Amino acid sequence: MSRTNRKILAAVVVFILAGAYLAYSGARSSMAYYLTVGELLDRAGTVRDSDVRLSGTVAAGTIARDPVGGTLAFLVTDGARRLPVRYRGVVPDAFKDGAEVVVEGRFDGQAFTAARLFAKCPSKFETADEG
Amino acid sequence: MMGEIGALAVAMALVVSAYGTIMPLLGVGLRRDELVQSGLRAVYANALLLGVASAAFLHALLSRDFGNAYVANYTSRDLGFWYTLSAFWAGQAGSLLFWAVVLAGFSAVAVWRLGRLRELIPYAAATLMGTSAFFMMLLTFVSSPFARLPVARADGAGLNPLLQNAGMFFHPPTQYLGYVGTAVPFAFAVAALATRRLDDEWIRATRRWTLLAWFFLSWGLIFGMMWAYVELGWGGFWAWDPVENAALMPWLTATAFLHSVMIQEKRDLLKVWNVVLIILTFALALFGTFLTRSGVLSSVHAFATSSLGPLFFIFILLILALSFGLLFTRLGALRNQGELDSLISRESGFLFNNLIFIGAAFAVFIGTVFPILSEAVSGMKISVGPPFFNQINVPIGLALLLLMGICPLLAWRKASPRNLRRSFFVPGLLAAAGAGLLVTAGFRQSTALAAFTLCIFVVAAIVQDVHRGAKVRRGHGEAYTVALGRLVARHPRRYGGYVVHLGIILLFAGMAGSAFGTERDAVLARGESVTVSQYTLRYDGGGTYTQGERLITEATLTVLVGGRTLTVMRPQRNVHTRRDEQAMTEVAIRTTLREDLYVILSGMGDDGRVNLRIIINPLMMWMWIGAGVLTMGTVIAFWPQAAAAAQTRPRLLAEAA
Repeated sequence: MSRTNRKILAAVVVFILAGAYLAYSGARSSMAYYLTVGELLDRAGTVRDSDVRLSGTVAAGTIARDPVGGTLAFLVTDGARRLPVRYRGVVPDAFKDGAEVVVEGRFDGQAFTAARLFAKCPSKFETADEG
Repeated sequence: MMGEIGALAVAMALVVSAYGTIMPLLGVGLRRDELVQSGLRAVYANALLLGVASAAFLHALLSRDFGNAYVANYTSRDLGFWYTLSAFWAGQAGSLLFWAVVLAGFSAVAVWRLGRLRELIPYAAATLMGTSAFFMMLLTFVSSPFARLPVARADGAGLNPLLQNAGMFFHPPTQYLGYVGTAVPFAFAVAALATRRLDDEWIRATRRWTLLAWFFLSWGLIFGMMWAYVELGWGGFWAWDPVENAALMPWLTATAFLHSVMIQEKRDLLKVWNVVLIILTFALALFGTFLTRSGVLSSVHAFATSSLGPLFFIFILLILALSFGLLFTRLGALRNQGELDSLISRESGFLFNNLIFIGAAFAVFIGTVFPILSEAVSGMKISVGPPFFNQINVPIGLALLLLMGICPLLAWRKASPRNLRRSFFVPGLLAAAGAGLLVTAGFRQSTALAAFTLCIFVVAAIVQDVHRGAKVRRGHGEAYTVALGRLVARHPRRYGGYVVHLGIILLFAGMAGSAFGTERDAVLARGESVTVSQYTLRYDGGGTYTQGERLITEATLTVLVGGRTLTVMRPQRNVHTRRDEQAMTEVAIRTTLREDLYVILSGMGDDGRVNLRIIINPLMMWMWIGAGVLTMGTVIAFWPQAAAAAQTRPRLLAEAA
């Protein structure tokens, strides 16, 4: 291998290591458990006070909203079990009864406090019975 | 009647696609040219059949044929013409048909324009038709746009109000055009592998296809960001959502490809690399379609789980296995003719540019599929959020900016100290001066500072190079502007590339500006004000009224700066009364070149008090201006290159002989 190639190889290796380090530290700082309602309740002990991304659907008729205060409370369900969620902030348009939601935040053993709320519309792009 | 014609055309297109896959290969294998020619005619027939199918489908949509399941699901009597048209790609079956018809059209044009490449074309056509056959299979057996309902409905379910936005009309088709466009260079890469014609013939032949695909992929992203910013109402334009990532990845690899092919053309290097890049790009384009249509990852874009997922997955694996298998058997023939001469040279600059793009694509890929990977490894689904993507991609973006300034000015082979001084002294000085100025002006955010400094560096480097080029021509007695015009016309690819770079710089500047955004939540009673930055927003009143099928809740805000009325803003939060109470936030945006004032009405109480979120997004406008500049650059680069045409002609003559 020529000297030039060695130099280039060394530069490439340094470059890749730097990238790997960035990826590693980035992943460490933003990793969160990705759970359904049932999984969260089953692991309540281990995930308490760690970052969790929780997916489920909004239980119909459980939305309590204060439009002025900007607070929102609802029950999220996986069909079998339910869990109260508290949130404060802008509510996405797709959020409503029966919508699939992903909430990011923490579970204190009783309720889930969400820092971010994403909603998918049940009938948005595809109906589930098709295809 | 039209429905039956459409369904028949789709079924026939499946047969024709299969024929077009097999015949050219058989013809080459048996050395029977008439079989090849028949296979190529199948490409045209396929385009014709899909044209008929699409026309029938459009007819069903526009004539409101509610006996058609798709039409009944995605349109309604009260849906306007343009949204009815956009329902073509609102659902699964329709977007698959759109994919297929675009692929058929592209294939036909490619065979027509590039038919002169007699050795490559049979394999390229077979690859394109094989892909087409896959989509036709889905359309025939899995998800038909012509499926009938047992009983026709009186009215359709209508298009979801959230999709009723200009973005719906532009974003999905552009994205699909980009995805499909990558099929053409991919097909010719496969043909080059199969025929062992691994010089840069296939690259030159598909250069404009690559550029076209890249252009549409870029605009797919841009339209997506605009749509998110204007319509989704959270103040941002990018959330590292899996579907966004799926659109970004092929763009990253396509951009890498666009750059690295130049190294092969000039220096006969990176041959394997280029083939790998285009295979990856096409696979990622399929992966993007797969992600949006499979529900394998949770995404705010919300596409339901469907049986398409496994089929797409198998097809992608098949494509990867076949093309990498073929590549593996050809490794011997792919040996580079040249060698890198120096670490400081244009070639190695491009090499690092490529590493960066691939590194970014890889990081985005890992981040996107992290839940799947972690579940496979540890049994726990763990996901990574935006901080992961930002932490990796911000330094990557900065490194790219740096290379964007350096690369085009480095000499090929080995840059001499003189070359370096000559090229970088002035831009370096200007960048340093600019950084000093920004710091004294109170700029402290290090990432944005680095970004703006590098932006200055790149712009200065480009301007200097163009100026030098024009000056040389002026030396031959041309007026400066004439010299400039001729310079660009003579080397459209180089200078078009520069203009694209300028567009990217503006995009980066706009993105860096968002680091200085201000966000403020406020609850106001009538007559109260809130001040954010230099703006004072006075809530003058609001109310609720009905407009058509929408219940509109609107707040009227007077915006004052220094006591003077600047404008009146009316953010709304509406509910579609007919479509299951679908909420629709209409943000109010006041755009200037300096910054956007972005107001969201989060809610209004019974007592008339409002909850507002006020966001100031600096430099946003420059992102959209950058997109325009990028378009201009692409058009220039796309322009026929007089000099290049003269170069390739002898080659063609030699082939014909």
